[in-house]
Amino acid sequence: MTLYHFGNCLALIYAPYHMAYKYSGISEYASFSKCVYAGGLYIFTQLCKMLLLATFFPDSDSSPVEGEYNVILEILKSTVDFADLLGIYFALNSVPGKGHAKILTSAIGWASAELVVTRTVLLWVGARGSEFDWRYVRSCAESNVALIQHAATATLVWLWTRSDLPKKHSPIVVSLLALTPYRALIEEAIGSIFHLCAWALVAVRAIHASAVGLSALATYAILAQQIGI
Amino acid sequence: MWLDEADGFAEIFKGYLPFYLFVALPIFIIMSPVNPVAASHEFSVYRMQQYDLHTVPHGCRSASFNLEGRSLTSWSTSRHCVVARVQDITLEQFLEIRNKAGALLLVLPKNETLLTPEEREHIQLLEMAMVQQEINAPVYFARWTPEMEDILADLQHSFITDDKSGTALEAMFNTVSSNGYQIVVSAPTPQKLDSKPVTLHGKLIGRSGSAQTIVIAANYDSAALVPEISQGADCNASGAVALLELARIFSRIYSTAGGRGAPTLVFVLTSVGHSLNYFATKKWLEEQLDSSDASLLQDVSFVSCMECVSRGPVRMHVSRPPRAPSPAHSFRARLGAPLQHKKINLADELLAWHHERFSIRRMTAFTLSSLQSHKDSGRSTVLDTPSEDRIQNLVSNVARIARALASHIYNITDDENDEDAGLYDDVLNVDEAAIRYWYNYLSSQSRSAHIVTTSPNGGVTGALERVLSRYMEVTVSTHAVDKREPEYTLYSPTSATLYVYSVKPAVFDLILTLAIVCYLAVVYFAIQAFPRFYEEYAKIVTGKTKVQ
Repeated sequence: MTLYHFGNCLALIYAPYHMAYKYSGISEYASFSKCVYAGGLYIFTQLCKMLLLATFFPDSDSSPVEGEYNVILEILKSTVDFADLLGIYFALNSVPGKGHAKILTSAIGWASAELVVTRTVLLWVGARGSEFDWRYVRSCAESNVALIQHAATATLVWLWTRSDLPKKHSPIVVSLLALTPYRALIEEAIGSIFHLCAWALVAVRAIHASAVGLSALATYAILAQQIGI
Repeated sequence: MWLDEADGFAEIFKGYLPFYLFVALPIFIIMSPVNPVAASHEFSVYRMQQYDLHTVPHGCRSASFNLEGRSLTSWSTSRHCVVARVQDITLEQFLEIRNKAGALLLVLPKNETLLTPEEREHIQLLEMAMVQQEINAPVYFARWTPEMEDILADLQHSFITDDKSGTALEAMFNTVSSNGYQIVVSAPTPQKLDSKPVTLHGKLIGRSGSAQTIVIAANYDSAALVPEISQGADCNASGAVALLELARIFSRIYSTAGGRGAPTLVFVLTSVGHSLNYFATKKWLEEQLDSSDASLLQDVSFVSCMECVSRGPVRMHVSRPPRAPSPAHSFRARLGAPLQHKKINLADELLAWHHERFSIRRMTAFTLSSLQSHKDSGRSTVLDTPSEDRIQNLVSNVARIARALASHIYNITDDENDEDAGLYDDVLNVDEAAIRYWYNYLSSQSRSAHIVTTSPNGGVTGALERVLSRYMEVTVSTHAVDKREPEYTLYSPTSATLYVYSVKPAVFDLILTLAIVCYLAVVYFAIQAFPRFYEEYAKIVTGKTKVQ
């Protein structure tokens, strides 16, 4: 399409991030450099993950049987995503301040880095071409969902690090955390079982992210109320 | 570092980013390629033929276009490329498109054999109408593919029209939901092809002392509207195959001195057929008759041309009915074919039959063909594809012609004994496997004049030369078109790559902007309302109000 269309996509993809940063109150903590640091950690984590995947997993593109879906292999591959949790943990540790500032700063930094690394090039190449495809608009919407997902994950990681987390809530946190790396896999499975179209899949992602987000928020609220922040 | 100095995101926007953007954006835009993404649809398309006959232009005169695709019903201006199935377009619609539309893309039927006779007739008539006159807009043909079917369906059910829709909301919905297609073909501008038609001939020498000659001729090109997809199975692969088989049979008989018949047999394969007025035959005759040693074509008994001989029993087309004692009459009587008489009309642009070239040079000549009339639309159509029952027709016709020819050469009368008849069958046995092989080979190749006359030593011509030289010594004569007043001119390109981009109308972007702005406003208010939401939510979860 046109440069105008590219601008549209850019607005859809970046404006929510900007607003989240600007209006959530963390900009008052002057933590832009911390956001960048979290982003740097994201990139480093991805490199480590790639190294792992390339070393220990067979090349999926050159597999002899085309179209066959190896479930075990996919689950194992998703397991590598536990490295993300580790990365978020380091990001949280490096940010000074109260709990919610820590969480939001690292989540926004992390998600923005993902955005810049994975989607900008795609948009630049795709949305500016003369071909129109809903895919690019969809990818922009997906990145908004990703922000909620990362915020939820960061909250869970933060809760998990707290030693004063109520005992009865820790199983919820741990199980939600353990499910986080398999998030994409579960969503795709749901999509293929119910033969969902791409837009419905985005909706599924959004519902999933908000469900996890709300439960994380609930636990956070309980803890916050308990320790008085 | 500037990151530390900047006191937050907003400051970077205010302080640094605009200056970086001023430099970076233009650089990005200059650096990025003009068309960074490949089209999601790419098709091989074949251009309608373009040629001049005696400097009268025919066919489509241009090659490149970049236009919006529309269906037969929704196109309106020369900025549209009409996309349609070839069986859907009517003659009236075509005439209108020829005058007004920017380009035409026709999709061939999925399976030619499943067409009804009416549809076949319609397509053939359309082809004839298309080639009659020149078209300034580019015309391309594409083979059927599932992707092409999707595009066709999309265009047919598209709501993008220039008429006003019922309501503004309806119009808005239409622009969002429907797909538009930008169709692009970038091909070089049409260029004259260096056409060098050839004629292959060889002879089987008869008994010494007899100067009689029988000429058997056929052209091996095809004449469909689209050079790249003109298989020409019936016209005229069948004629060329029949000639090869006759050459094989009679070369065997003539190989022994005892079996040799009186007349000399001359086999002539020419590379240009009726669509270009049998130009190669004309040139070949000039060479043979007007040169100083005109030995080959002295005392010709008759010339037998073969064209489209696989559609049923053959007829004999003549320009003057043969009289009783002549060899042609004797051959016809033995062949038992019905006579079809048509006088030569020199005022016509094209000669009707191959034999007229010989008749003009005062030889007794006739064409053997299954067709009723030279105006049959099946002579030049893309639907002329090989089929099994045509092979059977071809085999029986070749056997019949071979028998009649042999009985004429050896002057065998009907009252022969059974032993002779058995011998006769054995000698004249038609090799069905060879016929099938050559028929399938020739009709698998596009043999339009645009292709066979521009590669004189390779491809089909080379193959035919090799197979004919198994039976006799073959002479290849290459003819040239007159430089100043060309009898015909052929033009490239014959094929191109077509790109289809799916696009949305310009209004769509505005609507999308509106939607995004609404969405962002919702996000903004959601973030603003989040603290209050959190308070209420915490109250519900913990059952108490937040301790301040």
